[in-house]
Amino acid sequence: MSVVEIANLTKRYGSVLAVNDVTLSLEQDIIHGLLGRNGAGKTTLMQLLTGQDFASSGSISVFGAPPVENARVLQNICFIKESQKYPEDFRAKHVFTNAPLFFENWDSAFAEQLVAEFRLPLNRRIKKLSRGQLSSLGVIVGLASRAPLTFFDEPYLGLDAVARQLFYDRLLEDFAEHPRTVILSTHLIDEVQNLLQHVIVIDEGRILVDSDAEELRGSATTVAGTARAVDAFTLGRTVLSRQGLGALAQATLSRLSDEDRAAAAAAGLDITPVSLQQLVVSLSETAQAASAHSGTSAQLGTSTTSTQREK
Amino acid sequence: MTTLAADQPATARVASSAPRAINVLRLHLTNKWTTLGTPLLILTFIFAVNYVIWLLIYTSTPEAARTAAGGNQYVEGTQYSGSTFYIFIYMLVIAIQVVLRTFPFALGFSITRRDFYLGTALLFGVLAAIYSVILTIMSYIEEATTGWGLGGHMFSTVWFGTGSLGQRLSSEFFAFLFFFFVGAAISTVYLRWRATGMIVLWGSIVLIGVAAAALITFANGWPAVGTWFLNAGVYGVVLWSLVITVISAFFGFRILRRATPVN
Repeated sequence: MSVVEIANLTKRYGSVLAVNDVTLSLEQDIIHGLLGRNGAGKTTLMQLLTGQDFASSGSISVFGAPPVENARVLQNICFIKESQKYPEDFRAKHVFTNAPLFFENWDSAFAEQLVAEFRLPLNRRIKKLSRGQLSSLGVIVGLASRAPLTFFDEPYLGLDAVARQLFYDRLLEDFAEHPRTVILSTHLIDEVQNLLQHVIVIDEGRILVDSDAEELRGSATTVAGTARAVDAFTLGRTVLSRQGLGALAQATLSRLSDEDRAAAAAAGLDITPVSLQQLVVSLSETAQAASAHSGTSAQLGTSTTSTQREK
Repeated sequence: MTTLAADQPATARVASSAPRAINVLRLHLTNKWTTLGTPLLILTFIFAVNYVIWLLIYTSTPEAARTAAGGNQYVEGTQYSGSTFYIFIYMLVIAIQVVLRTFPFALGFSITRRDFYLGTALLFGVLAAIYSVILTIMSYIEEATTGWGLGGHMFSTVWFGTGSLGQRLSSEFFAFLFFFFVGAAISTVYLRWRATGMIVLWGSIVLIGVAAAALITFANGWPAVGTWFLNAGVYGVVLWSLVITVISAFFGFRILRRATPVN
């Protein structure tokens, strides 16, 4: 069952298309990754889904109704933005005293445990919190609110490695006990790739990828070996990216069949799966090149990428 | 407020969202120092300073002059005291800040704009009531003690705190509402149209002011304006301010319904 249904959604700021004709649906009780570069439209999309911003055109349905000014829909949503503003005189503890008023599933004990684990100073003014502490505050609200639809927008900006690991662990544990729909927006893809069940990649307001995470991981493969063997093998196939170093080269190709794999192995090439991050990078670059030289698509994209890489 | 609520077609939501507006009020009152503690502390300080000044005047006035017929002439000027005006301006600033800073936070807590505005209007009502009661009580004490024993005036002036109980309470209450809703409306213009909105808003206000002044001058209307104010009296002016209050409240609500959080 889908929680979110978006059709032909567009958001325009002056001449900029922040979200460009997006059609998407999000399944219930799944952890989604919303990936993309800075300014790709991730935050705008989430603001539209939470009724914080207004669509220029298209339709949004969350829990079966438009979210804008809809209390029934919004009370099931938690979205603490990366750039969240807090009242001037607020200390961290004030956020936690108010949270139960607005999130009906709020778990105070869980929040207390997280505050201790993230070492968040409750009595400090929010204005004086460091970037990492500010992120902790958002993460704790997001986790302890247990909202049926929870957004994490760049949740670990400024967080140290220990705190990041803590976030992943607590998210997975709590998700197992209290399943809910999670949308995790980030550009630190490698760290979260094992967390994600579904991946959405957005670039310049358009959806590049909307796919099951497992399927996506299998959708590209890297072959490495001598430049001659790599070129011979990739001839006539779609190359996502190619890197070369002297006589050696490696190329990322879209999905390989079993015969392809056998042929590659026979040609003496090493076959490795591509990390989600690499895949997103090459997809974004291909898309960029395609929009820059529209018409002469993949081939040109490949050569631009490879020259960039070799530098 | 009923006219504002009627703006919403779905009547079912009005009922279900009522407690949420109360929760917004509680959110606003999280830190009572900002809305109550600090202003009252400043008020106490101003009172203390005033008291010292009255004391200085009192002690430097000869005994004979103080007890002469028609007494208390020496502190006559204090009836024009504007010592409590700061509290109205402080509330204007509170209104500006509450809408500007708490609105983006409220959206993050999944509060609708409508509930936010209703809760904020409730806050304004509650604060206006608290402060007008305090000021009115002080005005009666001031009268009963003939100016704190010194003939001074701070709470019973030519502006506020004289006349019947109802007049004292209502004139202060309405004056507070004026500053609250005008402040809130200014913030909503900023939230919706940012800097451009501010430029257009203040530009228009200046233009309208200058145009009005020019019109009155050319028509030789200043004496008439003066007479109008004299006839209306302070209470009349406060009642007329309700027109601006209601307009600000209405447009503040309409503008906020389409506002987005500051990034």
